[in-house]
Amino acid sequence: MDRRHFIGQSAGALGLIAGFSGSARASLQKAEILVIGGGYGGATAAKYLRLFSNNTARVTLIEPNAAFVSCPMSNLVVGGSRNMAEITSPYDNLSKRHGVKIIHESVVSIDPDKKMVKLSSGKTLSYDKAIVSPGVALMMNSIEGLAQANKDGVTLQAWKAGAETVALHKQIAAMREGGTFAISIPEAPYRCPPGPYERACQVASYLKQHNPKGKVLVLDANQDIVSKAGLFKKAWAELYPGMVEYLPKHNVTAVDAKTKTIKLEVQDDVKADVLNLLPAMSAGEIAVKTGLANSNGRWVNVNYINFESTAQKDIHVLGDSIQIAPLMPKSGHMANQHAKVAAAAIVAELSAWEVNPAPVLTNTCYSFVNSKEVVHVASVHQYNAAEKTFKTVPGSGGLSPAPTTLEGVYAWGWAHNIWADSLG
Amino acid sequence: MRTKELKPVLLAISISAISGLCWSGTSFAQTADQLYKRALAATCANCHGTDGKGVPEGGMPLINNLTSQEILTKLKGYKSGALEGTIMPQLAKGYSDEQLTTIANQLGKKQ
Repeated sequence: MDRRHFIGQSAGALGLIAGFSGSARASLQKAEILVIGGGYGGATAAKYLRLFSNNTARVTLIEPNAAFVSCPMSNLVVGGSRNMAEITSPYDNLSKRHGVKIIHESVVSIDPDKKMVKLSSGKTLSYDKAIVSPGVALMMNSIEGLAQANKDGVTLQAWKAGAETVALHKQIAAMREGGTFAISIPEAPYRCPPGPYERACQVASYLKQHNPKGKVLVLDANQDIVSKAGLFKKAWAELYPGMVEYLPKHNVTAVDAKTKTIKLEVQDDVKADVLNLLPAMSAGEIAVKTGLANSNGRWVNVNYINFESTAQKDIHVLGDSIQIAPLMPKSGHMANQHAKVAAAAIVAELSAWEVNPAPVLTNTCYSFVNSKEVVHVASVHQYNAAEKTFKTVPGSGGLSPAPTTLEGVYAWGWAHNIWADSLG
Repeated sequence: MRTKELKPVLLAISISAISGLCWSGTSFAQTADQLYKRALAATCANCHGTDGKGVPEGGMPLINNLTSQEILTKLKGYKSGALEGTIMPQLAKGYSDEQLTTIANQLGKKQ
């Protein structure tokens, strides 16, 4: 080997020939990237922007909550078999291990023209790239009387895990003997398609032990169970015979908090003791307020190859807020996957590279039918360049054949790993 | 003559090395292709940990004790139906053979 050849190889190995150009690296290192919202989407995006840029990107995460509380697994807290500490993770590993700057505040407004974000303290931050991952907003006005009833604590949503998760469990535990727990489900799409049915299982599991004459009433605005239909119906029939009543095509329009009466669009009124009414949902408030929700005013259209909003350049939107591609669920797992595609695309763009032409997403969702046994649904979504969307791969994905305790172990394995992958 | 040619290259190497020191990551630089490969392997991280380093005793089978060849054999087994499982047979069928090879190479134990 002559010296020139040797030097050429060394230079290549150090990345001089094959990768970053000088100006592109400067762009990646200089860009201010703000991530708004520290859920499964935002936290993962912040971490992976650092990982994919070999820790060179400047990343700030803005999240009002001091700790992360997982929505997945929170139905087990509603059902009383687990506690909040078991589903709560700190944010500080993102700063300690990955160099993400964290600001525990809310974002009041985003100015896409000036590329500025205003925080609740009044402070403003400028950005070159913003990632908006605010989850869902609950459209309380879609059910008459719900906003006030929820404010007064007569009804609870517990659909954003936190204080209401515990409060709802307490209401269930305090329910009169033989009382009825009613959960209502809005028309899809909503956050976590199997979530309400899993919750019905968890409440039934609790009642079976502590209030065996109690009832669980599921009022579903949809034509049928939205996810894992056969598995849930079988679980209700076999594990909780006579306890769970499922009523499809029952759209809740109003609630009378004084008499705990639920009014339906078509059918007669229903009374219950504990009311868990889930209203229609939309993109998170900040996304709607910023004018990003350009799909019927409710969801955010994005370019799926990089999750950039179609309404505003340099704002990428992740997770439950987006208008979904076919068969793409609004789930924490999916938000984590969106985040990785967006993070890789932003690193590529700021490095003056082509964005990955063939990104892939997966989804895995475990549901507990009691405190130990679990069923799953899984899917793989490959980007289709011709149709500019993600499509599931024929023959892939699917459901569990039946609930098992092995999948119960895997469900906790999933939880511990996704929390570590997003926040650890 | 050789000395003349050498200078700019050495200078470039020095600059690169200095930049490398400023980055706290393990690799100095990456190509677009390497980034795409990392992003593809990251689809596995939700269940098997960032860079395949799963949470010990978290409940999910760990894969970071397997070589790339062992991972690829398993993934292909799940895809073909030769290996049984819960979710993995369903997920493996969603990836091309080339993608599975990339994932195995990315996540396999470095020997």
